[in-house]
Amino acid sequence: MSSEENNKKTSGLTRREFIKDAGIVVGGASVASMALLSACKGDTKTVTQTVSTTVNKTVTKTVTVAEDGVELTDLHVILNGEPRVCHIEANWTLRDALKEGMGVISLKDMCNGCGACGSCSAIVNGRPILTCMALAVECDGAEIETAEHLGVINHPLVNAYAKNFCAQCGYCTPGFLITAKALLDKKPNPTDEDIIDALGGNICRCGTYPQHIIAIKEAAKGGK
Amino acid sequence: MKTLEIFEHINAKSFEDAVAALQKGNAEVVAGGTDLIGTRRFNVLPSNPATLINLKTIPNADYIKEEGGFLKIGALAKLEDIAENDIVKKKYAALAEAAHKTASPHLREMGTIGGNICQLNRCWFFRKDDNYYDCLRKGNTKTCFALTSDNRYHSIFGMEKMCAAVNPSDTAPALVALDASIVTTKRTIKAEEFWAVAIPGSTVLDSDEIVKEIQIPTPASGSKSAFKKLAIRESIDFPIVNCAVLITSSGARICMNAVHNKPRRATDAEALISGKTITEELATQAGEKAVEKAVAMSNNKWKIAATAGIVKETILAAANA
Ligand SMILES: Cc1cc2nc3c(=O)[nH]c(=O)nc-3n(C[C@H](O)[C@H](O)[C@H](O)COP(=O)(O)OP(=O)(O)OC[C@H]3O[C@@H](n4cnc5c(N)ncnc54)[C@H](O)[C@@H]3O)c2cc1C
Ligand code: FES
Ligand code: FES
Repeated sequence: MSSEENNKKTSGLTRREFIKDAGIVVGGASVASMALLSACKGDTKTVTQTVSTTVNKTVTKTVTVAEDGVELTDLHVILNGEPRVCHIEANWTLRDALKEGMGVISLKDMCNGCGACGSCSAIVNGRPILTCMALAVECDGAEIETAEHLGVINHPLVNAYAKNFCAQCGYCTPGFLITAKALLDKKPNPTDEDIIDALGGNICRCGTYPQHIIAIKEAAKGGK
Repeated sequence: MKTLEIFEHINAKSFEDAVAALQKGNAEVVAGGTDLIGTRRFNVLPSNPATLINLKTIPNADYIKEEGGFLKIGALAKLEDIAENDIVKKKYAALAEAAHKTASPHLREMGTIGGNICQLNRCWFFRKDDNYYDCLRKGNTKTCFALTSDNRYHSIFGMEKMCAAVNPSDTAPALVALDASIVTTKRTIKAEEFWAVAIPGSTVLDSDEIVKEIQIPTPASGSKSAFKKLAIRESIDFPIVNCAVLITSSGARICMNAVHNKPRRATDAEALISGKTITEELATQAGEKAVEKAVAMSNNKWKIAATAGIVKETILAAANA
């Protein structure tokens, strides 16, 4: 039985559904979700722990233990410049937390979580990584950038990608975009070889590969 | 996407911390997670330890530095940082190139060198979802499914403990060629003696032992090294065969991987090229020498020829570096 079915059986409301709801609330999320959790779960225990995060900051955080004994931890991140928080379980990947807890829809899943397609890419603490292969608990305190942010900051990549037909079905495009952004952050004037190298882990089933090279070079020149 | 099995998660603050947690039993360590997360997600093994000990929270364990005649690399150093490091590129080229050719850019930004040398094997029977093939590396039966089924990528140097899987690490042959040592929480192990056929592991490490550091003696000036790899999808795939070569003024070290359960030195080929001027003809002979003792399984005779070719190319690349 999947853990989702398991949860449904014990509570009537799956934890996933619950976290989806709670994740929409920013700022007051902990308080609001805790009340909701007590309402739907009956007994929960709340304990406060001091832990050090992956970026070596020591923070105090709240650990909520649900009725079935599963620990729900708060994940605090800076997502696209904004502080965000959601509840996670120890087995959640970063993709689960961002997508289901914080509503980030640019994280795709083309390879079923094998780590082989790049469609779930995000920039975490300055590195382009696969969110399907990162554990959410290990990303507490992280600074995360997703493809959504490129639209917000009006990055030249967005126009260059649209103008040069980098998207056919478009499913792989956010993964390519955020990987290209990481490349431009590191090398503002990449060569063709740099681009091919940096996009080596991104798969496009529609075969848009040559367009990305044109678009990224155009974006590097400020979109011209 | 499948969810992972539920587990307890501990952030280690030191190697001693992590060892203590391992000694409590039913636990394993995670570094970059790029091998381990997939293994758990697809239920490759019959069961997984309940507790996961995160090594990434150990401070200052990801250094890359030269010190006292050695290059010292912390076990938690990311492959991308090794590939991009100027000293590594200049004096330990085989390792920089091996790290650069490992997996994809994203996986190199996550994967560590410690995880790369400790990763489980990639035999497609062993890795099949939901523990489908209950093979002998899982401790349950005496069957190696590769023996009677599609074994086109399996060992060309025979089986070890009845297993025909190959070691998939790209950095491993570079570490052997460069004569590295692996420093663990218990001892220092020569790279050549580091790998083994365990259940399900691929190293000689005890269950409560963790890799802390890799040490590589600085090659004498004038030494050259190179790494080459044959893979299907070049920008991301595992090696079908790979090779690292170090050429010094008086000798040579050649190591192949993905051809046997452990990285394998080609000592006969080394003897053939030691101290000689490398020509294309000599490199070809050395490539053939390297596979002289190879034995094909039912589907992988082609791999012997491929291996001879990669060894030849790597020797030439090192000589012309
Ligand atoms: C799509 C894909 C392609 C890949 N391609 C390649 C490739 O071409 N070449 C290649 O070599 N690899 C490849 N890999 C495998 C893997 O990603 C890399 O080997 C990576 O370096 C593993 O490091 P990690 O830190 O992520 O290991 P983890 O997944 O964290 O750990 C791997 C194993 O090593 C153990 N471990 C980790 N660190 C230590 C330590 N310090 N001491 C003791 N045990 C430890 C863990 O318990 C675990 O069993 C690929 C993986 C994927 C998903
Ligand atoms: S979903 Fe394919 S790499 Fe993450
Ligand atoms: S545009 Fe369709 S997968 Fe890339």
